[in-house]
Amino acid sequence: MLGETKPGMQCAEFDVLLTEALDGTLKGERREHFEQHRAECAACSALFAEASSGMAWLDEVEEVAPPRNLVHNILAATSGAAQQAAKAEPRASAWERTRRQVRVLFAPVMTPRFGMSMGMAFFSITLVLNMAQIRIKDLTPHNLSHTFYTSQNKMMKYYENMRLVYEIESRVRDLRNATEESESEREREEKSRHREKNSNQTQEQNQNSEPEKRDHRDYSRGLNGQLLASLNGNEQHLWNLAMQRREI
Amino acid sequence: MEEAQVVGQLVRRCAQGDAAAWEEIVQRFHRRIYNICYRFAGSADDAQDLTQEVFIKVYRTVGSFDGEKASFNTWVTTVTRNLLVDHFRKTRNDRATDSIDAAQGADEDGPTLADRLATDGSESPHLHVESRERREMVHRALQQISPDLREAVILRDLQDMDYREIAQVLKVPEGTVKSRINRGRAELARLLQRTYRQAL
Repeated sequence: MLGETKPGMQCAEFDVLLTEALDGTLKGERREHFEQHRAECAACSALFAEASSGMAWLDEVEEVAPPRNLVHNILAATSGAAQQAAKAEPRASAWERTRRQVRVLFAPVMTPRFGMSMGMAFFSITLVLNMAQIRIKDLTPHNLSHTFYTSQNKMMKYYENMRLVYEIESRVRDLRNATEESESEREREEKSRHREKNSNQTQEQNQNSEPEKRDHRDYSRGLNGQLLASLNGNEQHLWNLAMQRREI
Repeated sequence: MEEAQVVGQLVRRCAQGDAAAWEEIVQRFHRRIYNICYRFAGSADDAQDLTQEVFIKVYRTVGSFDGEKASFNTWVTTVTRNLLVDHFRKTRNDRATDSIDAAQGADEDGPTLADRLATDGSESPHLHVESRERREMVHRALQQISPDLREAVILRDLQDMDYREIAQVLKVPEGTVKSRINRGRAELARLLQRTYRQAL
């Protein structure tokens, strides 16, 4: 094995001298020591044989011819491109310089991942717009402002209509309240007039010493004339009959 | 005037922006650089792309070349070797996948290199065909040895660089260079012997 110590020469030393031996530059006493070690060490002998064989194989390898356009391509990629760039540089327009700056600025986002994300976002927005039946041409500034003012006009008209309806309802409610108040006042006046009439009749009856006749209606009233209960027509009739029997 | 002096003058002119000097450098070195790339990468297409990359890098950094430290030939070879190492690291996964696919294909129905040699050996007795096949076989075997050994063998046996220059390019001692060359040659021989044994 390489690295082992043999009498006279080490395997590592043999390894270094092997190239010179194969090159034919190893002469004299060193060559003798080399050959002696090769005869004694099987590993180094095998290495010598294999290396010699490999070198012979490599001798058969010839230089390959490069492609014909290689020189042209190299010159185009180096000096040609550099000259073209040098010529084009002073004539670069402001637009070209701006475009280059923008390209450098947006270089981090010009990646496949960002492109995929943008594509998915565009697809989603398009899908939503289609589902909402919004056309792209409706999204121009002119159409957007037109839509805004139309919507605003509709909202204002709706609001005005609502206000008119509420006002009308309010007026109707006021009128109804006013009518109800006048009717209740009229009823109250009639009732008071009727009460005065009854009181007059009572006074006349008392003056004629007739048995006391109470107004059946006053049964349901308290001392201050407050109505405590009321009877409908049939009940009133029955009540009158009962009272007449009682008097009899 | 010596070759090194001529190249030195060309490099100086090139550094000053002389397009003709640059073209002369490309003409002188493209064949050598292409062969190094081809033997290391194994593919003509890759070799062409890598050669262009090497010259683009040389063109951009030619101003930093110091003729006192190393010859232009050594410097260009160092640039080439560094790019090849980068390329090897970048394409390591691709090559692993390719080799697996190739192995599966060979097991299924594709003829192996030994099969082709056995078949072609009986059908085409012409010497030039055999020679071409042997060269192709060596080229394929070269791709199978480890990159450290491969680059040392290529620079020594295919580019005839001396050990000192190779040590400068690979940035290792001369003893290591010689050891790598020996082991590279031996490994190549073992691979080719195995292939021949399978063919027989």
